[in-house]
Amino acid sequence: MKTLADLKKIREKAQEEMKLRGGNVRIKIVVGMGTSGIAMGAREVMKTFLEEIANRNLTDVLVTQTGEKGLSSMEPVVDLIEEGKPKVTYGNMTPDKVKKVVVEHIVNGRTVSDYVVATGN
Amino acid sequence: MQDISLHLLDIIENSVRAQAKNIKIRVIRNVQKNRLRIIVEDDGIGMDSHTLEMAQNPFYTSKQEREKKVGLGIPLFKQNAELSNGCFKMASEPGFGTVLTVDFELDNIDRMPLGNLKDTLLGAIVGHAEVDFSINLSAKEKGVEQSFHFDTAAIKEELGDIPLTYPDVIEYIDQSLQEGIQNTNMEEV
Repeated sequence: MKTLADLKKIREKAQEEMKLRGGNVRIKIVVGMGTSGIAMGAREVMKTFLEEIANRNLTDVLVTQTGEKGLSSMEPVVDLIEEGKPKVTYGNMTPDKVKKVVVEHIVNGRTVSDYVVATGN
Repeated sequence: MQDISLHLLDIIENSVRAQAKNIKIRVIRNVQKNRLRIIVEDDGIGMDSHTLEMAQNPFYTSKQEREKKVGLGIPLFKQNAELSNGCFKMASEPGFGTVLTVDFELDNIDRMPLGNLKDTLLGAIVGHAEVDFSINLSAKEKGVEQSFHFDTAAIKEELGDIPLTYPDVIEYIDQSLQEGIQNTNMEEV
């Protein structure tokens, strides 16, 4: 059974890490979760991002869900937002494509141009 | 939508767009009453009676981003409930919030499966850190009641400034939900 005491341990560990590297968020991931996105598999896309973050221990990444973005024909749609860089929008995402984006874009800093459907604001 | 959990996710997103700060989700499986009930209650901006009625019309949407003005989320959920001899009720008050109650006949052959409740809840909780979720799962079977309660406000208080996307926190929430879903036998519903 998970208890709040487990959380206390996690908090202590996380605070130690933050002292070492600062608490900055390097990349923000925004998963489109409108009705059409959900029908096309956005929940599995979200889940795969969360799994990859946990498995790879990525502590400087933030994931959020948002509503419709007017790109219904390319759902599921995901934005990657990095400070000082133009926003990158990936479309027609699947769990496998998410894994590739995590390795290439988030870990190695290279945009996966095959999956990009829009850039900029 | 292939399962009830996907509809639930869609409804949660509606609540978030309605600026809800607290969302209560209840899933009640009652074998004796042959009923699967989903209740979603939010404290968002709410709807007046006209909007409430329009929301059940597939040719209405409040989404400005939409070029084609269709809104299928609520009408499809309603249709799927009614197809399994269930019912769909929505009540709202502008400025106070919205309550949605959806019933399915548990053993109806046309009822869609509950589906992956865990991934729906995990994504919503972590993806909307600004919203507090209160989740209750309850199963009544042969006179025995099993229940599970999960409250994200308590977790956030314990975590302080550590984000919900912190890897160990994702795992913590994932495992807690998994245990709760198992304990209330909501996996294969």
